[in-house]
Amino acid sequence: MVWHIAKRELYEHLNSLRFGLTTLLLLALMLTNAVVYLREHPKRVQKYHDAVTNARNALTAQADNLYVLAQKGPGAFYKKPSPLQFCAEGGEAFIPDVVNTNSWQWRTDALKSFWRLSYPSITPNLGNIRPDVTKVDWGFIVGYVLSLIALLFTFDAIAGERESGTLRLMLANAVPRHAVLLGKFLGAFLSILIPFSIAVLMNLLVLSTSRSVHLTAGEWERLGIIFLIALLYTSIFLALGLLVSARVQRSAVSLVILLLAWVTFVVFMPSTLASIAGGFSAPMSTAELRERRSQLREALEEPFEERYGRRFLSEKQTEVSPKMQAQGDYVMKDAQQQERLNQERLTEQIAQVQGARNVTRISPVAIVQHLIEAFAGTGFERHLQFLENVHAHARQFREFVIEEDRRDSESLHVIGVPTGMSQKRVEPGAIPRFEDTLSLRRDFNTAAMELLVLVLFFIVLMSGAYLAFVRVEIG
Amino acid sequence: MFTTLIRRELLDNLMTFRFAAALFIMLLLVVANTAVLIKDYERRLADYNTAVKTHQEKLREKKNYMAGLAEAVVLDRPPNPLSIFNVGLDKRLGNQIWIPYDLVPTLWDAGMHGADNPLFNIFTSIDIVFIFEVVLSLMALIFAYDAIAGEHERGTLRLVLTNSIRRGHILLAKYLSAMICLLVPLVMSLLLALMLLTTSTAIALSADDFLRIGGIVLSSLAYLSVFYLIGMLISAATRRTSTALMLAMFVWAFLLLIYPNMILTVAETAAELPQDAQARRASAFNQIEQLWEEFDRQRLKFLRNDPVPGEEPDLGIHGLGAVMADFERYQTTLRYHYYTSIAFREVGPRGETLVPHAKNYFGFLTPLMIKTAEKTWPIRESALKDIYVQQAEADRMWLNLSPIGMYDAATQAWTGTDWESIQDFFEAVRQWRLTLVDYLLDTEVFASREWFLSDKEEADWSTLPPFSYQRSGVAINAKRALPHLFLLVLTNLVLFMAIFLVFVRSEV
Repeated sequence: MVWHIAKRELYEHLNSLRFGLTTLLLLALMLTNAVVYLREHPKRVQKYHDAVTNARNALTAQADNLYVLAQKGPGAFYKKPSPLQFCAEGGEAFIPDVVNTNSWQWRTDALKSFWRLSYPSITPNLGNIRPDVTKVDWGFIVGYVLSLIALLFTFDAIAGERESGTLRLMLANAVPRHAVLLGKFLGAFLSILIPFSIAVLMNLLVLSTSRSVHLTAGEWERLGIIFLIALLYTSIFLALGLLVSARVQRSAVSLVILLLAWVTFVVFMPSTLASIAGGFSAPMSTAELRERRSQLREALEEPFEERYGRRFLSEKQTEVSPKMQAQGDYVMKDAQQQERLNQERLTEQIAQVQGARNVTRISPVAIVQHLIEAFAGTGFERHLQFLENVHAHARQFREFVIEEDRRDSESLHVIGVPTGMSQKRVEPGAIPRFEDTLSLRRDFNTAAMELLVLVLFFIVLMSGAYLAFVRVEIG
Repeated sequence: MFTTLIRRELLDNLMTFRFAAALFIMLLLVVANTAVLIKDYERRLADYNTAVKTHQEKLREKKNYMAGLAEAVVLDRPPNPLSIFNVGLDKRLGNQIWIPYDLVPTLWDAGMHGADNPLFNIFTSIDIVFIFEVVLSLMALIFAYDAIAGEHERGTLRLVLTNSIRRGHILLAKYLSAMICLLVPLVMSLLLALMLLTTSTAIALSADDFLRIGGIVLSSLAYLSVFYLIGMLISAATRRTSTALMLAMFVWAFLLLIYPNMILTVAETAAELPQDAQARRASAFNQIEQLWEEFDRQRLKFLRNDPVPGEEPDLGIHGLGAVMADFERYQTTLRYHYYTSIAFREVGPRGETLVPHAKNYFGFLTPLMIKTAEKTWPIRESALKDIYVQQAEADRMWLNLSPIGMYDAATQAWTGTDWESIQDFFEAVRQWRLTLVDYLLDTEVFASREWFLSDKEEADWSTLPPFSYQRSGVAINAKRALPHLFLLVLTNLVLFMAIFLVFVRSEV
């Protein structure tokens, strides 16, 4: 019975104006997305490879001397571009794709400041006077366009039939109401599924004809998950449409309510809530960072100068003296505390963004965009993963330096001082290589909660629609 | 008769659920976002004030002229209070600019102060005009879709037309009454926003600002009217409310969500001719480089021909302090200049004998640097225009094909957050640099001892010409907004004529 009603609904939709327009719209959007991606992605990949090769070459050049290697550090870390960036651009333009290792803070003849991780901030559009543009990615197509289309398919599902009187006819038969509701839901669902699937298939077809894009099995799996998330999200809006349509007497009123709700929840809510939530916490400002940086340095410098004099002298030393030990401690402590300061600021920034993201979860569009980003391997969560990889590698690199130094019997093992450390050549191949990776299992863990919220949204709205429909009186 | 029609239509519209709901949503969104926007503006203003203060302090810390003028002359762009209405490019483009005297500063040399959390930019910000763009257009379509089709279905159209009323009058009555209805939420929300603005102590609106806001209202009205007419056209052409509604919604989604994003994404990929831009950039950079190489040849020639041997940057003075001399070059923005700064606190007796020679050298070098900067400027200006401005103008042209683009451009021009208005600031900066250069050439301070040495006398920064920047007058804003406003009005006229033709020829 459910299937029967669904079929009837489907046939009705297939012949309608909205079905044609939906197909056209989705096809145009998905093709644009594919064409733009094919033009941009190779450039992105090329840029990444060039940067990584340069960093690697610089590192190899430093391998002649362990001290230089330890002082200059592992070089910049680059974030690997995701091949699924066409699914979600994820605000990548505002998220840096590199973590630097700087060591330029101070230097004397004898000692050089050691490297520390620093997190550059990017202001991408500083010289760009072109108008702003929202990237047409799957996240946009699903989040904004598909949700609107879902409402346009269901706003008159019940109210419309009531207006034309066919609802009475249908319910006069021995059809349970839940079957009618489910049938309507399925009918609308299928009639959106068809154009959306066609558009997605066209998109992927265009992408796979290109030689520059290679999607692995894992990535196809991710695409499948993203597709299912899009359908779940669409279902939420279908349920919302049915709910309002069942409660309201006239289809025009139903549409007005739905559109205003859509505008509020989808268009405005995420940004407004994020701005409000962002106002509650203030991360360390640039001026404060600068001040604390010099404070830390002075606090370190003063006791050292009191004891050992103003300048670090470059005297040749053959055994570990207290001064040498103090110099080594000085260098390492400086790098450590500055890095900790950088990290503290980053943590505050991340906390602010996280807080705002949590608040925006009230809006389903924010959730679905987070989810698509998570599975496409772009956006903020991906950035956090990248940072974690970087930190792990930085630890590994420091351990490697100590390990190498320990193996040199001539070294005095005072890390941070050129005369106290091994100056021997290091095998370039032995230097740990930074590999930026993505793991699906981890993505799924962070995404599970958001998926559950989406499912909850759907269940609540669908049962709301059922309750509303059961209580409908046909007068 | 005409007034009766208008009254009937007005009541019809005002007493509806859609009117109440739309009014409620509009007020809610505008109030919530205005509060957020005011807070944001206050923070930016505080950032600006701190930046101005620190930059002035940094300059005062410099004890000799050369170091100060080469390193520490930084001007800041104040945030625009009307950016609350349409943020435009105000927040995005650079707001602090370092001015070495041997480089003509442009927008592309500007940097950014403030920004405590650049990561937070992943959230888009919403301004009042954006709310109008989305909600007003939606409301207009919801009001319009059944204007004619609804009456046609109910049969009342026939009744009305049996009276001796011209069809044009019916259309006009419907249009006028709906516009009055739509004006209510627009004006009410704007008034609420203005009330909130006046509670903020950081924002003081001038009489000009109110005129500008009046311009925004005018543009909003024209924008609103375009969407109402689109809805009416659909209504007149389709004859059935359900079809009209569906079509109107798809047109709305297309015009608001899809066209601007899609056309810009396409334009960005299609219009980009990387080779062309690269070649243009490289050739301009090459020309500029040649001029500076010529400068360097003259500099070295001077050093070779003077009585003191050696060509070191500190001229062999070996004073106590910092020495810096190098070319700064950055091909992407064609930035090229000779960055030299010497700041000696004291000199030894041997160095003292070289001081007259150094004064002589800088007396020769500084005017040459300034002259070279002026020579490179036309090359750089035209190249930057080709590389950056042309594409942006093409984009804007594409956007101007949709009412949203016209409305956005018009309101940006009114608020003064469009590109031209921000360019005004940099024009003022360039003018100021000219007075600075005149001041240098007049006083010949570069041939003095304080230019590079602060042992006897220190630099007096109070004699420097002061910099002040005023936003351009409302007349200029109007001049920039008018073309876009004109386009909006033109669209209105075309749509109205189309409706008239469709409606007159329709049979009841």
